[in-house]
Amino acid sequence: MFDVLFIGLSLSSILLLVALGLAVTYGAMGIINMAHGEMVMLGAYVSVLANIWLGANLLVAIPIAFVVTALIGLLIERLVVRRLYGRLLDTLLATWGIAIILQQAIRLEFGLSFFGIHVKGLGSGLQNVPVPQALQGTVSIFGQDLNAYRIFIVAMTLVLAVATWAVMYRTSLGMKVRAIIRNPGMAAACGIDVKRTNAITFALGSGLAGVAGVLMAGFKTVAPDMGATMVVDGFMVVVTGGVGSLFGTIAASGLLGEFNALVAMVSNDIIGRAAVFAVVICVILIKPAGLFTFKGR
Amino acid sequence: MKTLFSSYHVWAYLAFAIVILALPLIGDEFWLNRVAKYLCYGMLGAAVALTWGYAGILNLGQGLFFGIGAYAMAMSLKLKSYTSMQQGSETPVPDFMLWNAEPGAPTDLCCITPGSWLWIPFQSQWVGLIVAVVLPAVFAYIMGRIIFGQRISGVFVSIITLALVLLTRLIVTDAQPLTNGFNGLTDLGWFTVFGVELDPYSKVTYMVVAVALIIVLALTRMLVATRAGTILQATRDSDTRALYLGYDVPAYQSFFFAVSAGIAGLAGMLYVIVAEFASPSFLELSFSVTMVVWAAVGGRGSILGACIGAILINMLEARVSETESLVEAWKLIIGFVFVIVVIYLPKGLSGLAHDLMSKLQSAPKLSSVQKEEAHQ
Repeated sequence: MFDVLFIGLSLSSILLLVALGLAVTYGAMGIINMAHGEMVMLGAYVSVLANIWLGANLLVAIPIAFVVTALIGLLIERLVVRRLYGRLLDTLLATWGIAIILQQAIRLEFGLSFFGIHVKGLGSGLQNVPVPQALQGTVSIFGQDLNAYRIFIVAMTLVLAVATWAVMYRTSLGMKVRAIIRNPGMAAACGIDVKRTNAITFALGSGLAGVAGVLMAGFKTVAPDMGATMVVDGFMVVVTGGVGSLFGTIAASGLLGEFNALVAMVSNDIIGRAAVFAVVICVILIKPAGLFTFKGR
Repeated sequence: MKTLFSSYHVWAYLAFAIVILALPLIGDEFWLNRVAKYLCYGMLGAAVALTWGYAGILNLGQGLFFGIGAYAMAMSLKLKSYTSMQQGSETPVPDFMLWNAEPGAPTDLCCITPGSWLWIPFQSQWVGLIVAVVLPAVFAYIMGRIIFGQRISGVFVSIITLALVLLTRLIVTDAQPLTNGFNGLTDLGWFTVFGVELDPYSKVTYMVVAVALIIVLALTRMLVATRAGTILQATRDSDTRALYLGYDVPAYQSFFFAVSAGIAGLAGMLYVIVAEFASPSFLELSFSVTMVVWAAVGGRGSILGACIGAILINMLEARVSETESLVEAWKLIIGFVFVIVVIYLPKGLSGLAHDLMSKLQSAPKLSSVQKEEAHQ
């Protein structure tokens, strides 16, 4: 039983890793960023490239990936998302286009493959990132042998969740973001530069996705299409938890991850995933605003 | 409202009908088979435009209805396939069920694999045909009643439909003994009408698909012009206001949702007749979003526009795919086209055409004959 719960916990932490960034962008900006999964993918590729070209290990890749994906996020916000505020469904479609572009950019090695140039680490093939020696093997906790890297992921997720919470509730940027979540018009009237705050928020969310990508590169094969399914999972978590509620996102990822693991234990992985979708549908039908939410003002 | 034939819309529909009916004169069977597939996609595009453009409901799970239609027809055609004959039974039994059967299970549809009895009605191709259209419509109606009855709208509907199609995909791939899982249903037989077998590579089959598409487009266009269609558009623009005016908003939304699902089911059914396979890839998220791309490029506000958008994009894609190095680049181009269309051309190509036409029509000295010529 304990090992099932631990598997559930690590599933939850992966869900939360993806959902944290989405919770920030979707909650604050009303942007459905379908390219979020591709940000995760880019983060994973940053760790691949950092390993090949710099010899850097996974831990070093984390800050690099954060900066790179945050900058790409900023660029996307400037070029596309900014023009679509208030058109929720259109942001979904436009960012879907961006997602395709990013995927193909990696596959085509930024277009260099047309000129016969091949960048090691890019392309349509699968890539792997070695896990640092210290995080390999198993660790014994309460008499159970647990995978060390999974424990590392759970711990890192906790750190990131706390960091996000601190940014949202302990900084002036966070206060502005929360004001925008509640009522963007009123926030602007109070002198908050909504556009600038949104741009920073989007970059922050993208950066979080990049870090998630690095962590995932340690246990998943890295491929250009790895992000596509993640964004769906991430949205399920955010919507279930309640839009704009950080606590809701954390709680929902915990619930859905454990539920997935428990159902998978009695049946199989596919049914486990299917059960999660069923739960999400039921939650939206019964409580469209999400499980943990506040009233908008 | 002007007389029927003074509107350029009618001429556009007529022109489209004439073009697709005339294609067999210029193409060979192999090419027509490909075009027939695109016509099925065109029908899907029209279904998306009906819910998205006219009802304001972005269904990200339209592939579910296409998939149901495709699987229903494929089940019937699988039972007509030579691979299902002589499997040690009087009645046809799909070959993959034999591979998945428990040792010693009776070779009969009733109980060869768990749930295989579900296939029994599909021994008649007409059951497959009817289920392919009716089941998506009924399912969508019930779904719509629940969703819209709860006054769920906007992106939440999209997420529910999206979750539903992915859920179905998982169940279909998991039910290997019943659906052949990831492999889907292949080696299908041919549909027979009045003793004529619909060979996918024949002009007859192409004409069946083309005529079906024309009928669907015409009926859908007339449907949205009815009173119910007008009320539907009112619910799109402000559902609260429509509700306060006394209209049963969920009923209208559910009805059109069901119509759109039925059209998607029909498209899936025809696609199987033409393409001879059904696979879980129809239930993938990317396919459902791709349909929305077609409708967006063609113009979500126009039934015909979305249909032409789907056909054009697929024709272009086929043309581009003939050059190997461009296959991957094509997706890149589609990505860019999509971003640009969403930002700069929210009404799509048909919106562009519409603006051009209204400029032409407002030009005072054009006689009506000239207008028609200008359009053609």
